[in-house]
Amino acid sequence: MTEDIVAHRAAPSAARGADADPITTQVVRHALNSAADQMKRALIRTAFSPVIYEVLDFAVAIYDRDYRLLAQAPSLPLFMGTLNSCVSEAVSAAGGIEALEPGDVLIYNWPYGTGSHPQDVATVMPVYVDDELIGYTAAKGHWLDIAAKHPYCTDTTDVFQEGVIYPGLKICRRGELDEQLAQLVICNSRVPDMIEGDMKAQIVAVNTGARAFEAVVRRFGIASFWDCVEHMFDHGEAIVRSFFERMADGRYVGEGVADNDGISDDRIRFPVAVEIAGSDVTIDFTRVPDQLSGPMNAPAPSAVSASRVAISMLAGCGEAPNEGHFRPITVLTRPGSMFHPLPPAPTFLYGLPSLQSIEVIYHAIAQSMPGAVPACSGGCIVGMTYWGRREASGESWADGSPHPVGQGAWDGGDGGTMLHISESATRFSPAEIWEAKNPWIVEKLELATDSCGPGQYRGGLGVDFVFRMLEDVHITAAMDRSQTNPWGLSGGGEARPNSAAVTYSDGRRETFSKATDYVVPKGALLELFCGGGGGFGPPEKRERQRIAADLRDGFVTSDYVKRHYPHAADVSPDEAPG
Amino acid sequence: MVTRIGVDIGGTFTDLVVYDDRSERVFEGKVPTRPGAPEQGVIDVIKTHVPQELVERASYFLHGTTVGLNALLERRGAKVGLICTAGLRDVLEIRRGDRAEMYNPFWKVPEPLVPRYLRIGIEERMRADGEVHRPLARESVSQAVAELRAKGVDSIAVCLMNAYANPTHELAVGAIIAEQGFEGVISLSHQVSGEYREYERTSTTVIDAFVRRRMADYLERLEAALQGLGFSGQCLITRSGGGSMTFAEATERPFETIMSGPVAGAQGAAKLAQKRDVDLLITADVGGTSFDTTLIVDGAPAVLYEGEVDGMPVQTPWVDVRSIGSGGGSIAQIDAGGLMQVGPDSAGAEPGPATYGKGGTRPTTTDAAAYLGMLGPAVLASGIRLDVDLAQKALATVATGLGKSEEEIAKGILRIAASSMANAMREITVEKGLDPRQMLLMPFGGAGPLMTTLLADELHISRVIVPPLAGNFSALGLLGADMVQSAARSAILPLDEAGLKRASDVLAELQKVTERRSDKDGPDIVATLSARLDLRFRGQEHSLSIDVESEGGRITEAAEEIAERFKKQYLRAFGSVLRQPVEIISVRASRTVALPEIGDADIVGARTDAEPVSSWNAYSFASGERMDFAVLPRGAIIDPVAGPVIVTEATSTFYVDRGWRIAPAPSGELMMTKDRTSTDD
Repeated sequence: MTEDIVAHRAAPSAARGADADPITTQVVRHALNSAADQMKRALIRTAFSPVIYEVLDFAVAIYDRDYRLLAQAPSLPLFMGTLNSCVSEAVSAAGGIEALEPGDVLIYNWPYGTGSHPQDVATVMPVYVDDELIGYTAAKGHWLDIAAKHPYCTDTTDVFQEGVIYPGLKICRRGELDEQLAQLVICNSRVPDMIEGDMKAQIVAVNTGARAFEAVVRRFGIASFWDCVEHMFDHGEAIVRSFFERMADGRYVGEGVADNDGISDDRIRFPVAVEIAGSDVTIDFTRVPDQLSGPMNAPAPSAVSASRVAISMLAGCGEAPNEGHFRPITVLTRPGSMFHPLPPAPTFLYGLPSLQSIEVIYHAIAQSMPGAVPACSGGCIVGMTYWGRREASGESWADGSPHPVGQGAWDGGDGGTMLHISESATRFSPAEIWEAKNPWIVEKLELATDSCGPGQYRGGLGVDFVFRMLEDVHITAAMDRSQTNPWGLSGGGEARPNSAAVTYSDGRRETFSKATDYVVPKGALLELFCGGGGGFGPPEKRERQRIAADLRDGFVTSDYVKRHYPHAADVSPDEAPG
Repeated sequence: MVTRIGVDIGGTFTDLVVYDDRSERVFEGKVPTRPGAPEQGVIDVIKTHVPQELVERASYFLHGTTVGLNALLERRGAKVGLICTAGLRDVLEIRRGDRAEMYNPFWKVPEPLVPRYLRIGIEERMRADGEVHRPLARESVSQAVAELRAKGVDSIAVCLMNAYANPTHELAVGAIIAEQGFEGVISLSHQVSGEYREYERTSTTVIDAFVRRRMADYLERLEAALQGLGFSGQCLITRSGGGSMTFAEATERPFETIMSGPVAGAQGAAKLAQKRDVDLLITADVGGTSFDTTLIVDGAPAVLYEGEVDGMPVQTPWVDVRSIGSGGGSIAQIDAGGLMQVGPDSAGAEPGPATYGKGGTRPTTTDAAAYLGMLGPAVLASGIRLDVDLAQKALATVATGLGKSEEEIAKGILRIAASSMANAMREITVEKGLDPRQMLLMPFGGAGPLMTTLLADELHISRVIVPPLAGNFSALGLLGADMVQSAARSAILPLDEAGLKRASDVLAELQKVTERRSDKDGPDIVATLSARLDLRFRGQEHSLSIDVESEGGRITEAAEEIAERFKKQYLRAFGSVLRQPVEIISVRASRTVALPEIGDADIVGARTDAEPVSSWNAYSFASGERMDFAVLPRGAIIDPVAGPVIVTEATSTFYVDRGWRIAPAPSGELMMTKDRTSTDD
C-alpha cells in the first residue's frame, strides 16, 4: 500500500542563497510581491464578474521555471496554494517547455491538475528574458458558468457533468488571441459576456505580471536575481522552521467530518495527521476514505494547498508566503481517495472538504500546542447561489455569496464573526445591495444568541439570516458541517453547527444543508443558521465581568450562563464594565 | 481681503503658513504639537510667528487637524445609542465579514463604537424602492428611546434599512426622540449619507454621533481663542474629500473632516498641477511615520466616496491618499528569518531618531540618511542638530546582527524604504491603467525631498517638481482650499431621458440641502453648483462618477451624451466596454465657493542658524561611493545646478544625486531632471 502514496514536497534548498546580499534580497522580495500585486490590481480592474472583483474569488502568482513560488498577491487563500500545480500540469498538457513560445497563454481547468472544480479556470503564461525562460505568471479565477448541468451543483456523479474542460490549450499564441478557441469557450456558458470578460481579464493579468516579473529580473541582473531568490526562499523556510522547532515531535491526528457526499446520506469522517520531526512537518491525508460517488472529492493539489495555507498562516509571521515557507512541509495523499480522486470522480464541492481540512490540521496541532491555534469555527463558507427570472421584466438574474460564521476562540481572546479563514480576503454583500437587485427582503441578519462555544474565552457568535422571497427564487446550497458541532479546545465547549430551512406560506418547514436547484416560492422564508465558534479554556475560568458583559449584550441568555458558567450563575448584567 | 492663516496640526509638529496680501508674501512657522491641548499649539504658533496687526486684518483662518481622527483612534467620544430596524441590530458588529490581516488567524475585529446593549431594533421596514413594507410602530420607538435614556447615552444615532430610498421613518424617529425631551446629539443616517450599504452608512452615522460634541467643543474653544487674539475673519476646516467647510458646518458634519491632514497636501499638489498644466502627477509625501501618495490626473486628485478609519468605514468623499508605514522615523530591525525590515514600527516624536539626541537608540531611516551625509550639515528648524555618532551607534545594533558595516546597513535601510515606497506608487498607477514613467513626481513632507532621486530612479521617472516650502507643504496646501458642500443619494435608475428626469429631481433636492448647510457662509458669496452621476453597466459593480452639466437643479445634457462620455472613461479605467445598458446608481451635488486667488507671492522660508558650508561628504547611490556634494541653500539656486548637490531649506533637505540637475521654475518651485547621458538604468 505504501508504494501508492504520493508525497508532495516543495523544491529543496539550492544551498547557494548564503552568498546573496541580504539587503538586495529584501528589495527583490518586495519587488516580486509588488509584481504579483500589480497582477491582482490588473485583474480586479478588468474583470467582468463581481465574483472576481468584489468577492475576490481568484488568485494570482509568479513562479520560476522550476515551478517554485516566487510571489503571490493576497487573494483567495485556498487558490493560492494550488497554482504551482496549475502551472506545471498546464505546461505538461501543452507539450512541455519546448512547445511554448513568448506571448503564449495557456488555459487550463482539468480539476485533478488545478486542485479545484472545473469552474476555477487557470491562465498560465511563460515569461522570457532574452529568449531564456525565467518562469511563469498564473491566474486562477472562479468563472460563473461553464455549462455544468446547473449554474452550481451539489449532486454531480462525474466530472463531465461539471462543465467544459480546457485541457491546457493555447488561448493566445505569440501574443495573439486564438479567436476560434475563444468562441468555443464563450459559447459554452449560460453567461457568455461574463466569461468573455473574465477570460480576457485573466489574460491581461498574466501579461501584466509577465512584464513586471521581467522588469524585476532585468533590474537586478539574472545572476544576482537568482542568488537573491535562493536567499529569499531560505528566509521563508527559516521563519516556518523557527515555529515548528517549538513543537514536540510526534504524530497528532485531527478528525474532519462532512455531512455527506452530496449524493448519499452517509456521514464522512476524514482523519488528517500532522507529524512533527524536528522542524519538519508531514501532513498525512492517506487515511481518508476512498473517493466518493458524490462531488465532495478534493483533488490532491487542494490537499497540498490547504496544508500550505494552514501552516503558512500559523507560522509565516503574517507575511505573503513563497516556496521557502513550504519547504518544511510534506503532504501525503493516496490516489483513489477523497483527497486524491482519480478521473472521472466528481469534484464540484471540493472546496468544502479542503477548507475544512485547514481547521482539521489546526485540530491536530492543538494536541501538542493548544495555545498556538484557534478552536473550530462554524467550519464552512455557507455558500449559496441564487437565480431566477424577474416577474415584471422576465429578465434572468443570478447572485451568490458566502456567509459569515463564528470563529473559534484562542488562548487570549474571544472569537469574532467573519467569513471562514479560507476566504479571509473576501467580504459579503450589504443587505441593501441585495435588496436593490434581488427579489427578497432580509428580515433578519443578526448574531445568534447562545450559538457560541463557552470557555475561558468564548467562540464567536453564529449568524441568523432570514430572507423573505418576493418572487420565486431558485437556490443551490453548498453547506457542510450541519451535523457536527464546532469543537472547543483546552476544555472550551462546542458551538452550534450550521443549518438551513425553508418555511412555506402554509407553515410547512423543510430543513436541508446541500441542495441543487431548490425552489423557494414567493412568500416563503429561507433561513440560514450559520454556526458559532468553539470556546477555548475551561468555562469556569471565564471572568465574571466578561460573563456579565455577554449577558448584558444578549450574546448569551441567563439559562446559558447557568448551564455553562455555574460559578457565575448569580451574575448580573450590571456587573459589566463601562 | 485675501490675507489668510493656515495651521495644520500633525502628530509631531503644528505647522503654520501665512499669506499676507499687503506685502504679497508667504511665510511659515513650526512649533511642537500639544497633544493635550491642540488649540493651544495653534495659538502658540500664531503668537510666535504672526504680527498682531496681520492677525487682525486676516480674512481667513484655514485649519487641518487630527482632533476628530484621534478621538476615534483613542475611542474618546460620546456614549452613543443606536436605533435600527428590528432584526438588523448587529450590522455594526458583523460588518462585511472580512479581516484586515488575511494571513492572521487571530485577527480581532475592532470593538464597535456602540456595544450591543445600546443597539435597539424598532418595528418598521422600508423597501429598496422606497415603498413602506411595514409601517413604523411609534410605541416601539418610544420604548427604545426610554431604554437608551435610562442607560445614560449622550447621543442617539438612527440608521434604518433603505432610509436612503425613503427617509420618512427616520425623520419620524428623530421627531419622537426630540418630543421625548432628549437633549443630546441626534444623528439620522439619511442626513449623514444618502447612499446605500447599511453597514457603511451605520458606521458613518455612529461616528458622527460619537465625535460631534467633542469636535464642536474643540472648534468653539479654538474660534474663541482666535478671537481673543484679535482675529475677526472666517474660520474654515479641510474636508476629507477636498475643499474646506466653515467651523459652523463642521460642528454639524464632523465626520466630513476626519482625514483633513494628508488631504491638504494632495489639494496643494492639485492646485500646482493646474497652475503648471501638468496632466499626470504623483505625490510622495514622506513624514515621520508614514508615506502618503496620491495621483493627480488632469489637475484633480482621485476622490473615493468611502474612507476608513481604524477599520471603520466612513461614507463620505475621501481623497484617495494611500499610506504605508514608512517614514523618517521608521525603525529598521531583523525579522525571524534574518532579513532586515524597515517600519512599520516608528520612533515617533518621542524619542525620535537616535541622531536627534533625544534618547532614541534604534536605527531609523533618518539615522541612516544622517550617517550617509545625505542630510548635509543639517540644523532643523526646530533647532535640533544631528548627531552622527548617535546614528552610528544605533546602526551598529543591526549591523552586528547581519555581519555588515554601518555604512552597508545605512544604505540598505534607504534602499528598502525606497523600494516599498516605489512599490506603493507603482501599484496605484497600475490600478488606474497608467505608467509611472509618464508622470511628474512631486515630493514634499519633511523627508520627501530626501528620498526623491532614490524614488525617481526606482520608478524610472525623469522629471520632478519640488514645491515651495516642501517641508510644510500640507499647511501651504490649506491656503488654497475652496469652500465645498456636497451631498449624494443612491437612486438606481436607467440612464435614459425618463431616468434623467428623476435624477434631476434628486439633484434639485440635494442642491437645496447643500444650500441650506451653507447659510452660514455669508452674503457676498458666489457659489458654483456642479453635478455628478455615478454610472455603471447593468449587472456590474464597477462604477465611475461622471461630471454632468446642469442648470437650476436640472441635468441639461442628453442621456446619449452622458453615456458616450461614461463609455470613454470606462474604457480608459477598465480596459473594455460592455454591451449592457448604462444605469445611474447615485446622484451627487456639490457647491463650491472659491476663495480669492493668491497672486504670485514671494515665498519666504523660515530661517535656521546653520553655519554655511560649501561642500559635504555624502554617499552617492548613483556612483556607489562617497563623494563631495555641493551644499546650497534653496534661495541660491538661480541657475541650473548639476548634482551631486544637497539643497537646504528650513523644514526639509533635498538630496540630489549625481545624474540629476536642479533648476528654478517660475513660481517658486524647483524642477529636477535626470540627465539623458546618465548611464544609470
